[in-house]
Amino acid sequence: MRVPIMFRIGALVLATTGFYTYVGQMVPQKEVQPPKATLLSGDLTSAEMAKVGREIMDTKGLCLTCHTIGKTGALRFPDLAGVAIRAKTRVAGLNDVEYFAQSLYEPTAFVVPGFPPAMPPMNKPPFSLTDQEILCVIAYLQSLGGTSTVTLQTKHHYNSGAAASGAPAPAAAPAPGGTPPPATPPKGSGEQ
Amino acid sequence: MNRKPLVFLVLVAALMTFAGTVGLASLAPGPEAGEPSQAPAATAAQAPPAAGPADQAAAAASQDADKPYQEAEYRAFPVVGSRVAIWVVAQLHLLFAAFVLAVPIFAFIVEAIGYKTGDPRYDRLAHEFTKLLSVSFSLTATFGAALTFMLIILYPKLTNYLMSVFSPTFLPYVLLFFAEAFFLYTYYYGWGKFHPLVHLGLGLGLNVVGTGIMMIANSWLTFMMSPRGVSSKGALLSLTDAIYNYTWMPINVHRAIANVAFGGSIAAAYAAVKFLQAESDEERAHYDWMGYIGNFVAISAFLPLPFAGYWLAKEIYAYSQTLGLTMMGGAFSWLFIIQAILIGNLFLAANYYLWLGMGRVEGAQPFQKFIKYLLMAIVLCFMVWATPRSIIATVSEIRAMGGSAHPILGFLGVMSAKNTAVNILILTTFMSFLLYRRTGKIATVAWANRGNAAQLAIFATVAIFVIFLGVYGYFVEATVRIKLSVPQVLSVLLAMISITAIDVFLFRGAKKTGEVRWGRIPAISQYVLIFIAVTFTWLMGLMGYVRSGLRQHWHVYGIVRDQSVDAFTPTLGFATKVVSATVLAFFLLIGVVFWIASLHDRPDFEPAGARRRRGSGERSPEFPAETAGEAGRTS
Repeated sequence: MRVPIMFRIGALVLATTGFYTYVGQMVPQKEVQPPKATLLSGDLTSAEMAKVGREIMDTKGLCLTCHTIGKTGALRFPDLAGVAIRAKTRVAGLNDVEYFAQSLYEPTAFVVPGFPPAMPPMNKPPFSLTDQEILCVIAYLQSLGGTSTVTLQTKHHYNSGAAASGAPAPAAAPAPGGTPPPATPPKGSGEQ
Repeated sequence: MNRKPLVFLVLVAALMTFAGTVGLASLAPGPEAGEPSQAPAATAAQAPPAAGPADQAAAAASQDADKPYQEAEYRAFPVVGSRVAIWVVAQLHLLFAAFVLAVPIFAFIVEAIGYKTGDPRYDRLAHEFTKLLSVSFSLTATFGAALTFMLIILYPKLTNYLMSVFSPTFLPYVLLFFAEAFFLYTYYYGWGKFHPLVHLGLGLGLNVVGTGIMMIANSWLTFMMSPRGVSSKGALLSLTDAIYNYTWMPINVHRAIANVAFGGSIAAAYAAVKFLQAESDEERAHYDWMGYIGNFVAISAFLPLPFAGYWLAKEIYAYSQTLGLTMMGGAFSWLFIIQAILIGNLFLAANYYLWLGMGRVEGAQPFQKFIKYLLMAIVLCFMVWATPRSIIATVSEIRAMGGSAHPILGFLGVMSAKNTAVNILILTTFMSFLLYRRTGKIATVAWANRGNAAQLAIFATVAIFVIFLGVYGYFVEATVRIKLSVPQVLSVLLAMISITAIDVFLFRGAKKTGEVRWGRIPAISQYVLIFIAVTFTWLMGLMGYVRSGLRQHWHVYGIVRDQSVDAFTPTLGFATKVVSATVLAFFLLIGVVFWIASLHDRPDFEPAGARRRRGSGERSPEFPAETAGEAGRTS
């Protein structure tokens, strides 16, 4: 029996689209939900904040889309393993908390040599992390090679209101375990 | 008169009206959507009777009278939801628009070649392409109107915002649409009625206006992806900046090229269908030639497309690294594995068609021995390109590998390897074209050997250079590695241009060793053309999804957030199902377009009685001098 040409063509179109649909089912299936606001109670410990920080980095912050933790070789963005140790001495005059804060609020101020100036400010859209969420991220970063010390009450240059209003920056509260930061972080530094 | 078709049409119309009414009724808000006008029966029975029915009615009427206007942010579409409804309609609109924009480009080029060479085949070919335009134009406009209405109904707040930003562009858009209709119909109906140059001028006008329409529409959609010229709260600061945003020009270029590739593939599929249905050798020869030209246009436009894609990706990264990384390394990274399979299939099919086509040229045997090497290169590149960075594996397998990246194959999943593979793939396909071009010819110029040697040297040098840069990329910092794709792309482009230029002069006045026997090609080649058209269409659907889906939970990235129930990014499996449904709908509709276009060549309708009478030599009682059929043909 001779199959009509239009039937053969229809079967080819169906088989081709069917094959591509099948390929689509073979790749990992992940439904990405829009980020939800993180509810933080004021009495969170530093360790609890670090857990929340890790969650934020995975979801709302999308940090781990670019950064890796514990990878070596030719990387596109800095690996974060042991960053807590490097953060204390990365930029002269900045302690770890101020350094992390600068990296998150003003990431192009200092760029790790060998990497592109590509990180966006995390307190602005499309991420729009709140000051408290950023403190949680800092708590997690401190835990990578060190101990989380920040609390939700910790003040740094960027959550004191001084950076936004242009008023003189108040002295950042010394983070427990961290060296006292300068009153105004030097421009042209900062990391991503 | 045969009433069967009429009865059938009435039944279909009645069914469609019924379905439409039910659909509209389901769109209307149900009682649960609004405030209840009275308490449910159970509640009413428990509550003390505060007032009589008349008072209650009066109170309700007073409440209704004072009800303030509330602007809806979203409205729901039944069954599939608003996002899928908009997605399908927008995609169908874009597919037809791409076709309507592409066909005039190569109809104009083909007509110009016909005018220049005086070969009437080109004019016939251009006219045949244009026949497909008028129905497609109507469908494009219909889907465009449907898209606009659905945006207003389903996403009123977002539509309002986009209108407030782009309102000055709407009137020019409408005016250009009028101009498009004028040029299109005068170009089609004026075929052979004007001086060829005047007709070519109409074709040029059609293309210029069509490109203008596309560029205006592109400004709206690219603004949603990479907004510029507005404050952080969305207030318009500069319309010029909003139009000329980061991704506008790359999308203009990418779409223009992709439209030509897509349009060429659909026209080739049309020719393939006609070839398979052809009953005479002459018809087969014509449609074989038409299919070849359509495919040639499609693949010629397809080869530089990845370069336009690089530019677009570069601008996306320049606008927002996050957006770029979401695309290539985040939620959408696996989509590019599907894309690699599609493009790999396109390259394989295009090369296979060319190799099959060699059979129609006498004296092609010396070139056919190279096919196996070309095939090996293509398959190898395809495999590298489709290798994912991280492998889907069980926990124990991941432990054994020391991570989700395979210790050996993982190295092929990075951009250094993929860029190299795609560039070599392009070079190989280009070589297939070159070999096909040479079949049945021998260069007679004095410098033929040196010319061949120069072409081979360019090809080998560029291939080695591209591979070297690919390997070098593994040993340098990220900032250096990212920039290596530029010399890779440029060297391949340079090779294609310089080898073609040498080839043109090399085969000027070449000796023919055999004729091209159009129509003498296996039928499977025509199915390959249809496969290419379906794959192109599917690829357009997929890439349309990534361009739009990249914004994730933003209507306008970083400015207007998606607060609807559809704010999440669906799985790739779901996305591919929607793409497939759209592609099938498109091919169903394009089948209708082909059918309508074919009506033009059908003989005029004759009533059965007239046919019988004509057969027996009787005269029609209504038309005693001539039959209805004869009258129709002479009118």
